[in-house]
Amino acid sequence: MKFTLHIWRQENARAKGHFETYPIDGISPDCSFLEMLDILNEHLINDRIAHPVCFDNDCREGICGMCGLYINGRPHGNDDGITTCQLHMRKFRDGDEIWIEPWRAKPFPVIRDLIVDRSAFDKIIQAGGYISTTTGGVPDANMIPIPKHAADMAMDAASCIGCGACVAACKNASAMLFVGAKISHLALLPQGRVEAADRVRKMVCKMDELGFGNCTNTYACEAECPKLIKRQNISRLNRQWIGALFGRDRRE
Amino acid sequence: MNLPKIHSITKKILVGALGAFLGFFLLFHASANLLILRHDGGEWYNAFCHFMGTYYIVKVLEIGLFASLLLHAVMAIWLAIENKRARPVGYKKPTRSKTHRGSKVQMWTGILIFACLIMHFTDFYFVKIGWVQGKYMAKSEDVVTLKTIQPEAFNYAEQHCEYSAKGNWLGNFNADDKAVLEAASLEVEPDFYHKAREKFKILHIVIAYLFFFVVVWFHLRHGFPAIFQTFGLYNYKYGKAIEVLGQVFNWVVCLMFTVTVLGVYFGL
Ligand code: HEM
Ligand code: SF4
Ligand code: FES
Repeated sequence: MKFTLHIWRQENARAKGHFETYPIDGISPDCSFLEMLDILNEHLINDRIAHPVCFDNDCREGICGMCGLYINGRPHGNDDGITTCQLHMRKFRDGDEIWIEPWRAKPFPVIRDLIVDRSAFDKIIQAGGYISTTTGGVPDANMIPIPKHAADMAMDAASCIGCGACVAACKNASAMLFVGAKISHLALLPQGRVEAADRVRKMVCKMDELGFGNCTNTYACEAECPKLIKRQNISRLNRQWIGALFGRDRRE
Repeated sequence: MNLPKIHSITKKILVGALGAFLGFFLLFHASANLLILRHDGGEWYNAFCHFMGTYYIVKVLEIGLFASLLLHAVMAIWLAIENKRARPVGYKKPTRSKTHRGSKVQMWTGILIFACLIMHFTDFYFVKIGWVQGKYMAKSEDVVTLKTIQPEAFNYAEQHCEYSAKGNWLGNFNADDKAVLEAASLEVEPDFYHKAREKFKILHIVIAYLFFFVVVWFHLRHGFPAIFQTFGLYNYKYGKAIEVLGQVFNWVVCLMFTVTVLGVYFGL
């Protein structure tokens, strides 16, 4: 397959970036998007055309959340519930023009080319996304009774991989889906409920301080989340916040 | 410029709560307006307007209403400014994510609501506070009292008014009549029944108001379901039902307004 790639190139965080156009040919339809970029980079290096295009990736199987690319107007490309590393070139048409951009948000500054600094998410987690007691050894699974539906909802929320697609997709660069997921997987379980009010207060304050936007109920996040995290988690975040305003640990 | 600090979710809750208050006012306003469709010479509707214009709790609510409208808009614009700042460098390719488009036009429909409200106030509310002239009415018992004190003013009133069916109100005075009757120290207040019936016979005004209702419909199409999400009431179990409830509310409000205006236009 043959493509025309328009890729954001930016020397470093302070440099002014621009789009560079690279034609590429002979790509197998079964090639993944990142493999296609590997092939491009090989070509750029071997033919001494330019520095290789820098992009984040690690697991290449949809679990680490590193490979965030904004492809033709959609985070992780034109498919639902996948990361960029799970996107294959057969999803494109032969001869397509492909625009590849980094995540755009004030708290996610570009480090180089397509790589952004997502440590803002870590700072939100550090602010309160944990349980502060030592948990000790693994207790018997039935020691603490947990309703099945609560366990299921917590598990769904816990599947967030912190990729940042929700922020990238949101017209306001809001991190509410991420924070909602991180609040939920703890607040839904008895061990997490104890500190729920304090946690939501700290995490939301940090989120605001870092410069993420405000949610306007657009739900682009939900549409683009590779782990299909639902907006019910944002609703829960709002509910927890209202509870915290009145100093209560909300029971979920 | 540094904006003062209110947490993002708190701001959203304020926008939502004030929006909900405005929404409930619309429901109340729209249902009350259906009284205009009664062919009673304004008996019921004007009685309602009289109550609204004089009862002190309503006066307090009225201030609250204007404050809500203003604060709702201010908070919403504040959110929008912060949201613009959260993405200083935009994307080259416009988004192709599947989103609720409604939220993107909230600002524009909101500004259009503001514009339409100016038209609406010029037609009605400004008459009440005396900024523009309109149709007026007086309590018929007051007019009857006039008969003994100032017979010529009574005669004048009789010639220039329309009697309502039950005769509590004598309405449809114009601004000149108002001047004459007030000179005879008669208390004259706006006659919104006749005013509305006159306004909504004019095609371009009807079209302007229908446009207004469409704008409100679009604003609330996103707004009502959004309130539930903002207040954390949207969950797995009732999410869809809540969405439907919001839309039903929206349709009821906008249809009641539409029915009133079209009803008058087609002489229902
Ligand atoms: C009759 C008048 C109005 C009613 C009933 C109304 C109602 C609502 C409601 C229910 C919401 C949803 C709140 C939420 O997201 O939780 C909303 C949002 C909004 N309103 Fe209004 N509104 C009115 C007038 C205005 C005006 C005059 C403006 C002026 C610019 C405005 C601007 C906005 C904006 C920008 C939003 C979006 C905020 C967001 O998505 O977070 N509204 N409105
Ligand atoms: S909520 Fe979804 S889109 Fe957002 S960071 Fe987590 S996995 Fe990524
Ligand atoms: S590289 Fe790990 S999710 Fe894509």
